[in-house]
Amino acid sequence: MPIEINRSVLGKEYPPYPVTVERGRLKDFARAIGDLNPFYLDDRAGAASEWGDVIAPPTFPITFRDERADSAALLSDLGVDISRVLHGEQEFEMFRPIRPGETFVCRSRITDIYEKTGRSGPMAFVARETAVTDRTGEIVAVIRHITVIRL
Amino acid sequence: VRYARVYFDDVKVGDELPPLVKGPIQQIQLTRYAGASGDFNPIHQDDEFARAAGMGGVFAHGMLSMAFVGQALTDWAGPAAVRKFGVRFAAIVRLKDTVTCRGRVRATSSRDDLNLVELDVWAENQRGEKVVTGKATVALPSRG
Repeated sequence: MPIEINRSVLGKEYPPYPVTVERGRLKDFARAIGDLNPFYLDDRAGAASEWGDVIAPPTFPITFRDERADSAALLSDLGVDISRVLHGEQEFEMFRPIRPGETFVCRSRITDIYEKTGRSGPMAFVARETAVTDRTGEIVAVIRHITVIRL
Repeated sequence: VRYARVYFDDVKVGDELPPLVKGPIQQIQLTRYAGASGDFNPIHQDDEFARAAGMGGVFAHGMLSMAFVGQALTDWAGPAAVRKFGVRFAAIVRLKDTVTCRGRVRATSSRDDLNLVELDVWAENQRGEKVVTGKATVALPSRG
C-alpha cells in the first residue's frame, strides 16, 4: 500500500534563517569533495586573487541549513520517513562568489509537489527553492532542490 | 595544465571539458562528506539501514557526484565562473565506483561585458552509465 504525503505544504514558506560562512567549514567542504583548488584552501592564494579571499566551491550553498530548526522539518511536514527519501534534482544559480565571514539570510519555500510512477514504483516529487541574500538585500544565490519520496 | 585560464574567444560549440576522474568511492569519503555538508542521512553510512530501506546497501550522496562535476567545471573555467549549475541524479553511485565527469559546450553568447558558455554536463560510472546529467552556464573572460 503506497503511503500518502501531506500535500498541504505546497506553497509553504519557512521562517528566514541566517547562515555565516565559516572559513574552516568552507575548507572542510572542499577537502571532503576532494577538490584541492588553492582558491578554496590557500588563504594567501585567496588574498592575492581578484576576490581578496578564498571562495567557496559551487555546490557549497547546500550546507546552508537552518541550524535552529529540526533538520527533518520538511520530512515531518510531509509525513514521511527519511528512509524513503532520495535526491532527485539540484540546481544552483550564483550571482557572486561566496567568501568566509559573510552572513546571509536564506528564505525557503515549497514551490511544487507532483507524483509520477517510475521504474521503481510510485514517487512524489517535492520542489523547494531557497533564496540567499546578503546584508544589503542583494541576491547571492538561488538554490533549487527536488526531493523524491518513494511512496 | 590544471587551472589554466580559458578565454571565451577560444571556446567553440562542441568543445569538451577535460574529463575528471574521481574515486573509487570509499566509505570514509561519504562519512567525511556527511560531516562537511551536514547531510547525515544514515542511508549513506549504515549498510544495514540502507538494505532495510530497500536500497541494497550504502550509496553515495548525490551531492558528492554533483560536487565532482562542479570540480570538472571549475578546473576548466575557474573557481568563480559558474553562474548556473543544475543536475538530475540519474543513478546511484556505490562504494568502489569510479565517477568520470564530462561536459560539452552547447552554446555561447555575449551580451554587454558578459560572455556566457552553456554546457551539457554529466558523470558516468566505470560501466559508462550516467549517474548525473545536467546543464551549466559559466562566465568567461575575453582576450579583449
